Amino acid sequence: MLIGSLMLMGLVFAISVPVGLIGTIFLSELAPRRISMFLQSLAGTMNSVPSIVYGVFGLAFFSVKLGFGTSLLSASLALSTMSIPFFMNSAVEFLRAVPKELREGVISLGANKLQATLMVLRASKNGILTSLMLTLGRAFSETAPILVTGAVFYSTKLPGKLTDPVMTLPTSIYAIVMNLGERSQWMAKAMASLMVLIMIAVYSLVQITRRNKRE
Amino acid sequence: MSDVVFEIKDLYAFYDEHAALQSINLKIREKRITAIMGPSGCGKSTLLRCLNRLNDLIPGFSLKGQILFRGQDIYQIKDLTEYRRRVTMVFQKPNPFPMSIFDNVAYGLRIHGITKKSILKDKVEQALRMAALWDEVKDKLKKPAVQLSGGQQQRLCIARALAVEPEVLLLDEPTSALDPIATTKIERLLEELAQQYTVVIVTHSMGQALRISDEVVFLYEGRLIEYGETSTIAKTPKHEVTKQFLTGKIG
Repeated sequence: MLIGSLMLMGLVFAISVPVGLIGTIFLSELAPRRISMFLQSLAGTMNSVPSIVYGVFGLAFFSVKLGFGTSLLSASLALSTMSIPFFMNSAVEFLRAVPKELREGVISLGANKLQATLMVLRASKNGILTSLMLTLGRAFSETAPILVTGAVFYSTKLPGKLTDPVMTLPTSIYAIVMNLGERSQWMAKAMASLMVLIMIAVYSLVQITRRNKRE
Repeated sequence: MSDVVFEIKDLYAFYDEHAALQSINLKIREKRITAIMGPSGCGKSTLLRCLNRLNDLIPGFSLKGQILFRGQDIYQIKDLTEYRRRVTMVFQKPNPFPMSIFDNVAYGLRIHGITKKSILKDKVEQALRMAALWDEVKDKLKKPAVQLSGGQQQRLCIARALAVEPEVLLLDEPTSALDPIATTKIERLLEELAQQYTVVIVTHSMGQALRISDEVVFLYEGRLIEYGETSTIAKTPKHEVTKQFLTGKIG
């Protein structure tokens, strides 16, 4: 289950980081004011949508419409649909917080837009890292979107290809609590403790990167 | 008249509907320090930023009239990279890049295609020496630039602007965020630089303008009200507003 969770995370990471980063740069550096405001409020709205909605969307769109079935792929796509706006919403603030003097300084030396953007990214890299970890932490603990798109409650083997279903920590906890009797509750408790530990580790990392930034 | 670097002809600048500059006519001469003065909001920064075409970045900005740089209309230039190498800028707030001291100074050189290590090293040292910072930082070139003090950071920014061997150095209130000692250092430095470069400095400090500038330009509510030799204007200001400014009644 842990490995299933990690595999899922890896895929979510691979999908949402490039898309999210490009989206964020577009939002804060390239898009005209109006479009950027519209997109940001869209991302904000998507952020407040309950996660089960993403699950149902994933089931309808990725699993059924695109025919990916109940699989690792559908699950990671559904999770990414949720993670990308979450990431963009927080990362764009860090990019916007870069003082305009820095951009102007780069431009005034004759740099082009790409070079200026790279400088802005460099200045906000700790912030972006923080957003990234928060996003992954959230995706890791999220149950609903994968419950209906990619998770199976019991599987003896790891998913070998993208179209295999996957077991993850949060969905297994859910399954045990819902389906098995009193006597199996210790399993759920153990898994829940493991999850809490992992979450603590992830958020501590966030804190540490933040502290480094201040120094 | 070959000593004219900038000739500004009937310049109007607008932020959306608001006219920040109106009917400016002005010549800026080579290897002199020209101070642009006036109270806050009179358009002095706008004027300076036009000379580097930095206002292009601001949504809603537009411009009428002409700015000639050695006879060429700068708002007709397509490729600004080379132009901005010749006319560089230092800002009000020190803005070191989030990289090492060395890389800060080398940044402009790298943009303009200089990548050979030995050349970079020489040019960075030369620029830091010109900015009177070399002795203070020569042992810590690899350290992050943000660790320097405010005054050092500002001299680093000057070094960064000088490294690309420009002809004109534009400074937007470069000392307003610094203490008196750091300010004096930078003023000394500018006087020395004026032997090689054309310096245009925006300042709201009358004292600073009198101390260092050869020529002074007074702006008031977006209009040019007086300009000429600093010593002449200091003795015999023609305009009422200039008089008030000189005696400290405004500004």
